[in-house]
Amino acid sequence: MKYVILIHANPDPWGHPSSRYTAEGRALPAERHDEADRQFEALLEELSASGEFVTAEALADPASSTLYGWSPEGHLATDGPYAEAKEQLAGFFLIDCATRERAEEIAAQFAQPGGVVELRPVMWPGGDDQ
Amino acid sequence: MTDGDLEQVWRRSAPDLLAALLRRTGDFGAAEDAVQEALLAAARQWPADGTPDNPRAWLVRVASRRLLDQRRADQARTDRELRVTRQTPPEALLAPAADALDERARDDSLTLLLLCCHPALTRPSQVALTLRAVAGLGTAQIARAFLVPEATMAQRIGRAKARLGQVGARFTLPSAEELPDRVAAVAHVLYLIFTEGHTASTGSGLTDLSLADEAIHLTRQLHRHLPAVGEVTGLLALMLLTDARRAARTRADGSLVPLAEQDRSRWDRQQIAEGVRLLEAALPTGPVGPYQLQAAIAAVHAEAPGAADTDWAQIETLYRMLDTVAPGPVVTLNHAVAVAMVDGPAAGLAMLQPLLEDRGLRRHHRLHAVHAHLLEMAGKDAEARAAYATAARLATSIPEQRYLNAKASRRPPG
Repeated sequence: MKYVILIHANPDPWGHPSSRYTAEGRALPAERHDEADRQFEALLEELSASGEFVTAEALADPASSTLYGWSPEGHLATDGPYAEAKEQLAGFFLIDCATRERAEEIAAQFAQPGGVVELRPVMWPGGDDQ
Repeated sequence: MTDGDLEQVWRRSAPDLLAALLRRTGDFGAAEDAVQEALLAAARQWPADGTPDNPRAWLVRVASRRLLDQRRADQARTDRELRVTRQTPPEALLAPAADALDERARDDSLTLLLLCCHPALTRPSQVALTLRAVAGLGTAQIARAFLVPEATMAQRIGRAKARLGQVGARFTLPSAEELPDRVAAVAHVLYLIFTEGHTASTGSGLTDLSLADEAIHLTRQLHRHLPAVGEVTGLLALMLLTDARRAARTRADGSLVPLAEQDRSRWDRQQIAEGVRLLEAALPTGPVGPYQLQAAIAAVHAEAPGAADTDWAQIETLYRMLDTVAPGPVVTLNHAVAVAMVDGPAAGLAMLQPLLEDRGLRRHHRLHAVHAHLLEMAGKDAEARAAYATAARLATSIPEQRYLNAKASRRPPG
């Protein structure tokens, strides 16, 4: 079963890892961040070795995005950021695990200062008949 | 020779070749590289020079040479290996064709299956390596079948091979006391490949692949090696009986048809007959395991001419047995349906109550779909539609969600 782990955060200035650039993250000593980085590296190593890691991307500053609205006359392009989002999407990880419990165990380790981590199942094109 | 023929020769030859080379090196990666290079050489030379009289002997000769080339850096060992190779005729390294399996070749492909499902590997790695090394599929094909990027699958397979090297896994049959657990792991891997194969296939063409077909093919191999192991026979029967419904379980637009509404004339009768035959041979032989019980349930469904003719009493008994040997919430869920069919919806709904209060299970769409179905049977239409809506929100299968949403919005009669 595939799950996406979405990292919602407002780093200022925009940067990665976003936890170093949020207000809450900047208030922490560097050693705390170094320790978190080490743990995170170990987690990614574990997920790669188990075959559960599928892919991940860090996203650019939402100010660099372009938004497309639709109207009957055609689309309308405006510059980002997408103002309706309170917290911006900073990046995502796609994982493939055996159970929801395992996905929750992994996602919990992504919790970070100044961000909200969302775990969401990915839809798939097939199904079972019983 | 067309590309399609070549692909067939590759797929048939690669596992045999790999087994032949693994007898001589513990290095899975090096052996596989040599096989790939031999197949590439064949792709270059055969269309130009014609296919050799004995394609497998040709491939083994070239692959062995490549393997030795790789090892030339290790001079002392290479010298010894070269002498051995020159003295060994290629036929001696070769696994014969499937219709002329001798003892040694049979052991080889069983040993390869067991190696790919080595306990040092995680399940996803075992699945990937089995499809790569035993089924002879390309990394890109496997990646597509599991809807992951090719780079991810390549890494998964690469790490699995490296891991086998790290733990010093040998190309030998495990000891007699280790064997049952190892065979159980292989059976579970094949079962996972089969259930993953339920993903609706899209498109058509040479590169398309049915994981269900691969799983059945590999399970047939395993069954040939171990005809007396009841659970292997049961697994093969389960796959055949389930797969027999394939044509009837989806509509042209990809939407799902539930078992009760399937057009049973489209079920594959030949496959059902084979599954039933296998099951009848396996059942009397010993302790009846979960694969045999699930196959038996599938057989009861298969033998009913119409949904209304289903022998639910027998299915209820089989689920009760399954609940004893392999208890779990999915078994309870299916058991509740059978109980509802035998004793009425109230009895089934009572069985669901503890599951609906379980924090972990409350978010499984299947629980709510079954709940909705039993409420519908009980004539509680408004509650049923609410439960269908809950199930639809939690479903992650696109066709299943569409089906559940349609049930949720269906207006009550009158």
